[in-house]
Amino acid sequence: MSTAPIFNMHSNCIIVKGANRSTICDLQRNEVKLIPNDLQNLIEQYEGKTNEEIKAQYNESDYEVVDEYLNFLVEHEYAFFTNTPEFYPKLNIEWFEASKITNAIIDINSDLEYDVIKVLSQLDDLNCKHVQIRFFNVIKFSIIIKLLDYLNETESIVSSINFVVSFTKEFSVIKLVELFREQPRISSFLIYNHTKEDVIIPLKENHTKYIKCVTKNIKSASHCGVISQEYFVPNIKAYTESLQHNSCLNRKISIDTQGNIKNCPSMSESYGNIENTTLEEALHQKDFKKYWNITKDQIEICKDCEFRYICTDCRAYRENPEDNYSKPLKCGYDPYTNEWSDWSKNPLKQKAIEWYNL
Amino acid sequence: MAIIISENRDTTTNKVIDWCLKNNTDVRRINSNLCARLSFEISDEDDSVCINKQKISANEKIWNRRGKINTLPKEELLKTPFYNYLKREEDSLVKSVEFHFKSRNSYTGSYIKEVENYKIAHLVSAKKVGLKIPRTIVTNYKEELVNFYQKNKPIISKDLRYSVNISDENTKYTSIGTFEVTETMLDHLDTYFAPCYVQELIAKKVEIRVFIFKKKMFSMAIFSQNDTQTKIDYRNYNIEKPNRVSPFKFPENVEKQLLKFMNISNLDTGSIDLILTKKNEFVFLEVNPQGQIDWLSKYCNYYIEKYIAEELAYEK
Ligand code: SF4
Ligand code: SF4
Repeated sequence: MSTAPIFNMHSNCIIVKGANRSTICDLQRNEVKLIPNDLQNLIEQYEGKTNEEIKAQYNESDYEVVDEYLNFLVEHEYAFFTNTPEFYPKLNIEWFEASKITNAIIDINSDLEYDVIKVLSQLDDLNCKHVQIRFFNVIKFSIIIKLLDYLNETESIVSSINFVVSFTKEFSVIKLVELFREQPRISSFLIYNHTKEDVIIPLKENHTKYIKCVTKNIKSASHCGVISQEYFVPNIKAYTESLQHNSCLNRKISIDTQGNIKNCPSMSESYGNIENTTLEEALHQKDFKKYWNITKDQIEICKDCEFRYICTDCRAYRENPEDNYSKPLKCGYDPYTNEWSDWSKNPLKQKAIEWYNL
Repeated sequence: MAIIISENRDTTTNKVIDWCLKNNTDVRRINSNLCARLSFEISDEDDSVCINKQKISANEKIWNRRGKINTLPKEELLKTPFYNYLKREEDSLVKSVEFHFKSRNSYTGSYIKEVENYKIAHLVSAKKVGLKIPRTIVTNYKEELVNFYQKNKPIISKDLRYSVNISDENTKYTSIGTFEVTETMLDHLDTYFAPCYVQELIAKKVEIRVFIFKKKMFSMAIFSQNDTQTKIDYRNYNIEKPNRVSPFKFPENVEKQLLKFMNISNLDTGSIDLILTKKNEFVFLEVNPQGQIDWLSKYCNYYIEKYIAEELAYEK
């Protein structure tokens, strides 16, 4: 038995190999580090070996680079050397979920076309904790209060809400900060049609909550589905879920502006209307869950991408609208060249953009 | 029916209840912040406890997660001079209820064990089962402390039972957890003082936190030695860059020692803190009968809450 310490990756730092480069997904610190595939290769081959055994595979002229790599990994606490690797098992990558539905989108036009309270009450029955409510027209501040009051009065299980609203004077920062303080359920506000672009952190004690102001207009559900580094979620829950399930649509339920019950509001498939169908009933329809198990490993191009397990997916807008396994249309990333570009200007995507009427 | 005694904001309890619902296990939560309606009837035929209008039958599984059953209608009593006296009386009742449950129900966790968490007794038990422990002294006079320091320096000190949380009109005192005792500190001491709890500082490779529920262990290593801010005690959190953690697997013989320790300490659940030394020795530090689980479950992807919910389900 050798007494020299053995090179070991920390179990919550996961290497994901892409076509051209790789990532270290630090699922504990919620960070992503890009690394060259040379380093990925070194890790894959030499995990469990001693420093000397690793070096033996290289020419002396490469030692400096090898040392640099190993130092980098140890310094950032991605890896460590140990005499007792048997003490440090790999992370269990199973994913379980107690709720039938984990997240919901509720789309609303100004003239309330269906009973939102009914939806909220049924979400409670499904043990759904996260809700996004998107208003596509100007609304009164009091509507927000009315919904929150309902959740408070019924001690709803819904514990985090993201609002999307159009800017009016009523939605001033001062008023919103106050609202965040009074209503712990609120997670974020996205205010469109604003006069300036801005991000505000309303609470000192919780930096995950935010108010985001954007100048663009959001008129319908078709704004959704944009893939951006901003939305990557490098944590254990999201990573393990994405290994088995779709990172957007799994355990999601939505109500479109007409009250139709869908997996995603942007999709045409409807499973009944909230007027005469319950969410639970819709959920049990044959095809409701048909996208839930489409993973990035099955999606063209994404399957070669180093971000595939931390990236949110989109199945409503695809590069090839006729292929369920085609890459998200609104992703500007190319894993073969490692470049990000504006997806909406890509000449190859114009046909699909037209198809979806974007 | 499963019964969970807890606090209203406890995340772990929320998650366990989510799993109980998923598994169709009926579950009832008794929160310590609310006054429970309680009666305990003892007669020739039967002894029975009734909480919030429901009689607790012998086949119900009870988990004492944290806190205790609260029986004092607080608001009215809080400001009266009788409050402290009534609290003590209540304590005796709550303990009797626990004894009653322990004698006939599946009852995991303990209010009594939480309040009677004697660190020194636990050290002695840990030693008995063959675990290493730090050299320790509790003393109230300087000469002995200085001697201990000379022999074992560097040394640390921590609370023997309660963390400091004292306020008077102008000042608030809170403890900083474990801290190193320096020579200057010793110089400033009087000949006699209130007893203090002191241990040799053990150089560590990693710290280990293990949560035990009945016979099942969930362990996590905390790589705190890289960070001067948490070198003494990882609970001196570094928020900017949290210590690296990882699932941990004990050698079998140590696992056995830990279970034996729980057994002789009459504990069926709790969190144990240990140190792994540079020489690969496991040093027992302390046990918390109602420890934190959330962090451990999340960072090691253990789904401890799911496991507990399954334990609380009816026997098939
Ligand atoms: S599938 Fe696309 S459009 Fe639908 S909710 Fe997900 S990201 Fe949005
Ligand atoms: S290529 Fe796929 S996995 Fe990669 S960033 Fe784009 S959508 Fe995400």
